[in-house]
Amino acid sequence: MNVQSLSIEKSSARLARTVSRAVIWLFLLATALLTLFPVLMTLSGSLKSNSELMTGGGLLPKVWQFANYSQAWEQTNFARFTWNSLFLSISVTIGTLLVAAMAAYVVDRRQFPGKALYVGVQASTMFISVGAIVLRPQFDLMVKLHLNTSLWGVILILVSAHATTFFILIGFFKAIPRDLDEAAMIDGSGFIRTFYKIILPLLAPGLGISGLFAFRHAWNEYILPLVFTMTNPQLQTLTVGLANLRYGTSAAMQTHLMMAGACLSILPMLLVYMVANKSFMQVTAGSIKG
Amino acid sequence: MFSWRRLQENSLFLFPSVILTLVLGIYPLLWMLRFMFYDYPGYGDELFVGLDNFERLARDSEFWKSVQNTFVFAAGKLLITIPLSLLLAVLLNKSFRGRNLLRAVYFMPTIISTAVISVVFYIIFNSYNGMVNQLLMKYHLIDQPVPWLGPKYAMLTVILVAAWGAVGNYMLLFLAGLQSIPQDLYESASIDGANAVQRFRYITIPMLGPIMQIIIMLAIIASLKGYESIMVMTDGGPIGKTEVMYLYLYKLLFPVPTGPPVEQQLGYGSAVGFATAIIVGLITAIYYFMTKKMNKVF
Repeated sequence: MNVQSLSIEKSSARLARTVSRAVIWLFLLATALLTLFPVLMTLSGSLKSNSELMTGGGLLPKVWQFANYSQAWEQTNFARFTWNSLFLSISVTIGTLLVAAMAAYVVDRRQFPGKALYVGVQASTMFISVGAIVLRPQFDLMVKLHLNTSLWGVILILVSAHATTFFILIGFFKAIPRDLDEAAMIDGSGFIRTFYKIILPLLAPGLGISGLFAFRHAWNEYILPLVFTMTNPQLQTLTVGLANLRYGTSAAMQTHLMMAGACLSILPMLLVYMVANKSFMQVTAGSIKG
Repeated sequence: MFSWRRLQENSLFLFPSVILTLVLGIYPLLWMLRFMFYDYPGYGDELFVGLDNFERLARDSEFWKSVQNTFVFAAGKLLITIPLSLLLAVLLNKSFRGRNLLRAVYFMPTIISTAVISVVFYIIFNSYNGMVNQLLMKYHLIDQPVPWLGPKYAMLTVILVAAWGAVGNYMLLFLAGLQSIPQDLYESASIDGANAVQRFRYITIPMLGPIMQIIIMLAIIASLKGYESIMVMTDGGPIGKTEVMYLYLYKLLFPVPTGPPVEQQLGYGSAVGFATAIIVGLITAIYYFMTKKMNKVF
């Protein structure tokens, strides 16, 4: 083989690599664009007039309609929806973390009869799914307890589904050395005091991450608040209020207000995600590594 | 080493979790297991009817149609989601500039509310003036608007939307699995002259086997269970084309804005709920036994 053909072979190999790299990048970027498309459409659509949305136009609005937001906020009751969503999500997050952290503390640090049963039941609640049928006994129960006239019924039901948080926190408990709480106990700190003086501060990273998850879950929840607020529109959350706009009272669909409303729901999560996307991914990835 | 004090402390810390699980997790299941043998409209008399509800279920062609739709929906979603997410994971499993940004972009749909983004997709896929048709017409890819949510394309559209929301999640799970494969395997294969495709076929696939088995199982369960997005976009319509079984169940219990007022059928609904859980459980079990081989690292 002479020198010339060798260099041709080399350069054709280089060409093949450049082409395959270009194809891969094209694919990655096209997928990213498709992923971003509906979100970009929502952001730009929320600043367009209704007529511009109907007739098409470019990505950016011709005239920036910031009034869409104030209109959605005041006329379409989104102020109320946002407040309800915030109240619901914050309460669920605090409740879930507290209930799951306390249970995980006992399960990880102590032996007691029925422990295997408790863990087994928690695990199975994550897998059994009978759909909407459970909402009915839950709803009847909340009516009996007079918790259906506020969001507390929904909050309790969401907190009752704390198995995921429990298992995430168990994982974090394993990383806290037992010597620490044993040393604290020898120094005279009781079981409960050790929990909030020693354990909770050390558990902070785990609480932060699973708190993000619990918050996201409650913020995005749709069917549960939908069912519980059917006769009580004052309690609707952003997801429910927005979805109900599809059946507007006026003849034409108010697309611009729906886009603004969707942004009110998406943007806060998106901002949190920009800061903490590593945390979101850490838990998802961790769930499979076991 | 028994002490009252320990028992008290344990009970105190477990009490909230146990009571919530019992009352709001277990009790509704028992309630369903009881009422599936009853004729009960939600008020008044509870009439024991034995297995009548299950006889009715066997003859309920609308239910079996919805089961069939569920399989089509789940299969379509999985056929898009699994290969695409695995491919993205493999491509992102190397370090290059922009990798973390791309990963964050692909994962982003999982943080957005399914209901909210489905409202957006409902607008985007609107046949009369939705952005998808606007764009396709603008670049002359189609001559006239495609009725994305009409009888012919509605199932395809809800599958695409479901895949949009799921790919990033499974990409991340696959990525976690890929990162647990020792790098020296790839290095020694490269030295032996294996190309990228061969390395994927003979190292990645077998080594990923056990984790892949679990990831696909999670994906199957999730795709059979999901109905929120369909509920928002089509309410199961048009003419029942996208009615999946969990949505059918929901409609037996609660009214939907486009539908007629429902006469609640809690007894029959309980039987349907039980049946759907059994169907999902069966499919999961069949999948698990059929893929036992994946569990072995070759």
